[in-house]
Amino acid sequence: MVYFINDIITGALIGLLYALVAMGFVVIYRASKVFNFAQGELVIIGGFIVWFTTMQVGLSLWLSIPLSLVLAGLVGYAIERIFLTKLIGESVFSMVMVTVGLLILLRGLVLLLFGPAVRPFPIIFPLKPLFLGDMLIPMNLLIGGIITVVAAVGLSWFFNRTRSGLRMTAVAEDHVVASSMGISVKGSIAFAWILGSILSTIGAMIFLSGKSLTFLASDIGFAALPVALFAGLESIGGLILAGVIIGVAQSLTTNYLDPMIGGSLGSVVPYIIMLAILLVRPTGLFGWRTIERV
Amino acid sequence: MDPSGIFPTSYRTDRRVVRTRWQMAALALFVGLMLAAPYLVSGRIVAILNMMMISAVIAVGLQICTGYAGQINLGQAAFMGVGAYTAAILASKTGLTFLLTIPLAGLSAALFGFLFGLTAARIKGFYLALTTIAAQFIFHFAVLNLPSNWMGGSNGITVPPAELFGLRFVGETAQFYMNFAVTAIMIAGAFGIVRSRFGRAFVAVRDDDVAAGIMGINVAATKANAFLIGAFYAGVGGALWAYMIRFVGVDQFTLFHSIFFVAMIIVGGMGSIVGALVGVFVIRIIQEIIATVGPNIADSVSFLGGDIVFAGMNVILGGVIALFMILEPKGLMHRWNIMKSSYRIWPFPY
Repeated sequence: MVYFINDIITGALIGLLYALVAMGFVVIYRASKVFNFAQGELVIIGGFIVWFTTMQVGLSLWLSIPLSLVLAGLVGYAIERIFLTKLIGESVFSMVMVTVGLLILLRGLVLLLFGPAVRPFPIIFPLKPLFLGDMLIPMNLLIGGIITVVAAVGLSWFFNRTRSGLRMTAVAEDHVVASSMGISVKGSIAFAWILGSILSTIGAMIFLSGKSLTFLASDIGFAALPVALFAGLESIGGLILAGVIIGVAQSLTTNYLDPMIGGSLGSVVPYIIMLAILLVRPTGLFGWRTIERV
Repeated sequence: MDPSGIFPTSYRTDRRVVRTRWQMAALALFVGLMLAAPYLVSGRIVAILNMMMISAVIAVGLQICTGYAGQINLGQAAFMGVGAYTAAILASKTGLTFLLTIPLAGLSAALFGFLFGLTAARIKGFYLALTTIAAQFIFHFAVLNLPSNWMGGSNGITVPPAELFGLRFVGETAQFYMNFAVTAIMIAGAFGIVRSRFGRAFVAVRDDDVAAGIMGINVAATKANAFLIGAFYAGVGGALWAYMIRFVGVDQFTLFHSIFFVAMIIVGGMGSIVGALVGVFVIRIIQEIIATVGPNIADSVSFLGGDIVFAGMNVILGGVIALFMILEPKGLMHRWNIMKSSYRIWPFPY
């Protein structure tokens, strides 16, 4: 029983980590109407920035973490400037296709710059797990979960209640309408990418803390994708619920069902849940139901 | 578009694929050259042509699904994989002739694609595009985790060579003719599909699905059909691939391969069958150059080792996708059409 509860808690915390990475998708979508396929690549770039500032340059964590976040924001801004600004006014389809291109472009660039070597990632959160009776909770996931919840509440408030957040929401509704209302589509998209990139870097810190870093870690982007769709692409608060549900389901499948069938069903369970929920609710749990007019 | 002064006088002439005598001559010359190619060029180039034809079948399928029907499909490699595995299993376990395994491979892939297309009845927009990524993951999971005597697991399956009346299709030249025959049928079929009722419905749904629905088109069925046809092409291409490589493994059908196919139709031009062929040609040439040049660079930059080919391919193809979307979003075919018409109407601007 204790193990069962422990699996649920760990699963929920992993789910919150997925939710944090998925928040990158949602923030970019929420402020620009562009679905960013390259989110996993942003995570890995964030990871390499953190690795570079701590392990290569040798800064202390207190200095390197803020610096990494600033650098990650700059990378996001640069990507937006180089690839997306020029596409404002084109169809959203082209922008999405550019992010598909970015997915393999960034993957290749990371591989060219850093090579396939396995690198130690700095220990950002204490390695010692938290003991609750017989239960054992990884510290990085616990702190990460708290960060996720705080970020979700904060960003949800920002996008739904503040003036600038609502401006970006308008951009996500329709680029043309937003710009004719005097809202800067360019600024909104730039902000989205900076924020998305920073969130990815935080995700990388939680995910990789004390582990090893290779370019393959970007697969977390695809692990987080079902969470974003499950919650609905517009909902930031919903990510927490979706993340917890998917994380718990995955953890229970991996621990109880997989030994029985001798496979790794756990890795596809998020996708199966996502497909099932999308068939019932086509825009996820909390996504906007738009009314289309011709 | 026809030059001014040439008007079709019946629906039959209006629908024709080959519209002028010069086009007929060019087509005949192209087919003739292709048929003679194994005797004109070296074996290496024949092998590249084989690869191009297989990619062409798959890219044309993707063109119908994405370029004509407007459904972003990032699972084309998975559909190809389903076809390749079907052909491999049928050929190695039941010994069926390739005349049957290739269509069956297409059908099984079409069924798999149709399952994801069916979700179109409920799911729209990005959500739909993203479920095709799920196809990719579920395919990998199925291959790796089903009992290994079904699909070979991570070991893959070895495929016996294609055989017809005691004639074995081994070696580049024999396979070239087999691939050419299948590719020619598939591409002719594609031209038929896109000018048929279905093709027009695809274009209508792509341009505005709400408006298409109001005009009486069953939008969900049309989207599901688009996935079905696209996946059928991918399955046939996968079967050809299985017979050419004579081995199928799950690593041959990843998300990256799907993106390579997307790159092909973006470079060639969305919404044009010939564009898909042009894109296949350009992208395959680029891949071939990287595969040839890469190892030489790898010697000088030793820390990267063999990954430089993969990395370089990703950087260049990703860059190509982004550049084309920014600079030439309608692809090379569109540029070619502009050049052609400005040549024809010179010295007038329009």
